Amino acid sequence: MKKQFISVALTVAMAASAFAGCGSKAEEAAPAASEAAATSEAAAPADGEKTYALVPKSAGNPFNEREASGFEEAVKAAGGKCVISYPDQATAEAQITVINSLISQGVDSIAVAANDANALSAALQDAEKAGIKVCTLDSDVAAADRAVFCNQAGVQEIGQALMDAIYDLTGGEGDYAILSATSQATNQNAWIEAMAQIAAADEKYAKLNLVEVAYGDDEPQKSTDQTNALLQKYPDLKVICAPTTVGIAAAAKVLQDAGSSVKLTGLGLPSEMKEYIGDDDAHSCPYMFLWNPIDLGALAAYTSMALVDGTITGAEGDTFETPLGNYTIAKNGEATEIILGQPFKFEPSNIEEWAAVY
Amino acid sequence: MAGKSGREINATPQNSLKKKILSWEGGLVLIFIGVLIFGSVVSPSYTFTNVLREMPKYLAELFMMFAMGFILVIGEIDISVGAIVCLSATLTCFINRAGAPMVVQVIACLLIGLACGCLNGIIATNFTELPTMIITLGTQIIFRGIAEVSMGSGGSIALTDTAGFAKIGGRIGPFPIAFFLIILTAVIYIFVLSRTTFGRKLYAVGSNKTAALYAGIPVQRIRWICMTLIGLMAGICALFMLATTFGANTTTGQGFEMDVIAMCVFGGIATTGGKGNLVGATLAGFTIVCLRIALGQLNMSGQTILVIIGILLIASALIPGISQSISNKKKRAAV
Repeated sequence: MKKQFISVALTVAMAASAFAGCGSKAEEAAPAASEAAATSEAAAPADGEKTYALVPKSAGNPFNEREASGFEEAVKAAGGKCVISYPDQATAEAQITVINSLISQGVDSIAVAANDANALSAALQDAEKAGIKVCTLDSDVAAADRAVFCNQAGVQEIGQALMDAIYDLTGGEGDYAILSATSQATNQNAWIEAMAQIAAADEKYAKLNLVEVAYGDDEPQKSTDQTNALLQKYPDLKVICAPTTVGIAAAAKVLQDAGSSVKLTGLGLPSEMKEYIGDDDAHSCPYMFLWNPIDLGALAAYTSMALVDGTITGAEGDTFETPLGNYTIAKNGEATEIILGQPFKFEPSNIEEWAAVY
Repeated sequence: MAGKSGREINATPQNSLKKKILSWEGGLVLIFIGVLIFGSVVSPSYTFTNVLREMPKYLAELFMMFAMGFILVIGEIDISVGAIVCLSATLTCFINRAGAPMVVQVIACLLIGLACGCLNGIIATNFTELPTMIITLGTQIIFRGIAEVSMGSGGSIALTDTAGFAKIGGRIGPFPIAFFLIILTAVIYIFVLSRTTFGRKLYAVGSNKTAALYAGIPVQRIRWICMTLIGLMAGICALFMLATTFGANTTTGQGFEMDVIAMCVFGGIATTGGKGNLVGATLAGFTIVCLRIALGQLNMSGQTILVIIGILLIASALIPGISQSISNKKKRAAV
């Protein structure tokens, strides 16, 4: 009996699927025959509501989540539809998958925080061919592959702020190390390079010695291991500079738990760093910097909307108004960018207030 | 009706439709169709052209699946293939930047993969006491390490002349070129595994190495051939990855080994060796790819998709065991 039942059930399933299969085939055949086969068949929303997509670097990273929340709020406030697509890994390949899917869905714009400066090129060009406006935030791609880059703060300004912090905390001489994210993160590498240039250009920094750039891959455990390794390898180390939110939080915990005399600075989230920021020896981080990731997400949203509206094209000199203020697109080498503002300093006096915000 | 005589199985012809449907591959065809229906129901953008357009990245992975099928059938495993893809893609980028002609780049890309696979094979056949899992774990770190060191601190390298690779990543109608090559590769691999003496030898080695050796099968040579072959396929994968990413970085190919092993297992190939075939693996590969594309279009987070794929995989590994124990019970009841 049981077997009979199974075979009946399977037959029904087969018949049903054959039926549905025919239906979908007929539907699929039409676009396949069309001329524009290589580009996407955008499923245009009937009500004319625009869809704005954001592709962050990875899920589970508080900074990216704040960015996403800023983006979402700005889009919703303007009455648009918002899609946040996290890649399954912090890799460019995972982002390509996500971007391809967004092209299929026929979104109007894609804002992406790139995990690799080059690898997204083909996917983003496909998006542009399909009529989708592309901008980047946080971490850029090649200028030809996007309209404009929403820069959180000028690379030079960040490099300068970090070098000055290191100069201040070491007392002007001694060993320091950098704890970065992944070795191919565009933004991290740009800041580290800017720091090196600033250090080389001014005699003032001559007695500072960079012993190593360690990579914690933006994973808490790996960042912790790397910090421990730095402490063991360089007994004379005075300062660790971690220009990444994951790295600085991991390093802060290691240094504070060990009661180490090594001081920490870099770029960190106030809410995660609250318990580590203080001027006395019981705290590992006297002060650090960051910009507001919520504002950065919002700026990317306003930029996306302005690109879709046609208010801006991404060319140098374009201006547009946002609730954050008025922005003008500037030129940075070959590329165009919008700078959110100066890096903001978090110190014992203001950390409580900001920790409640993000 | 079953029962009385207990001869029901013999009474059913070997190639009956019922048996085909009830087989693992038959089930996969149903699941595959189910996924396509699911996709077109849940997402308006799940059309033929869109699915094909999203496919190239996955197609690159599929190349390795066939050779991984061979490896699993002989009871071995190779977890270094993701790293081989990374190394092969990275070094090809350097060759591209040096301005070598396209033919040289393609050949180099394949040869680097082949050489890496060959190295795995040489180690595996000369140190037979070492499990291939450990050998390839070691070479995985070495290959990726070489790639990372050669890329330097930036951790990323791009092609300077992308024209040739853009052609490789091109399309004929809505079909990516890789799609045709995948079909061709599938036909060749399925034929070799199921219709040639070499294929039978793979099953013999996977079922019992000692018995195979005494039966005069060159076990070590077969292990070497399979491991070299997957190196070559990793080279092909690298070629098509370059055609979609126009560059390589330290995470290129990360997790590919597990993806292709998962496809094989879902397709009914046992990691213990000697069981399964590539028809199942091919179906499973396309099922997983189409499912991922469908879930992606729902804007489901990447992690959730991985959880779903993981559950599918565990289920697929458990079902044969459960159905086996059910049929055993039935047999016992019949006796």
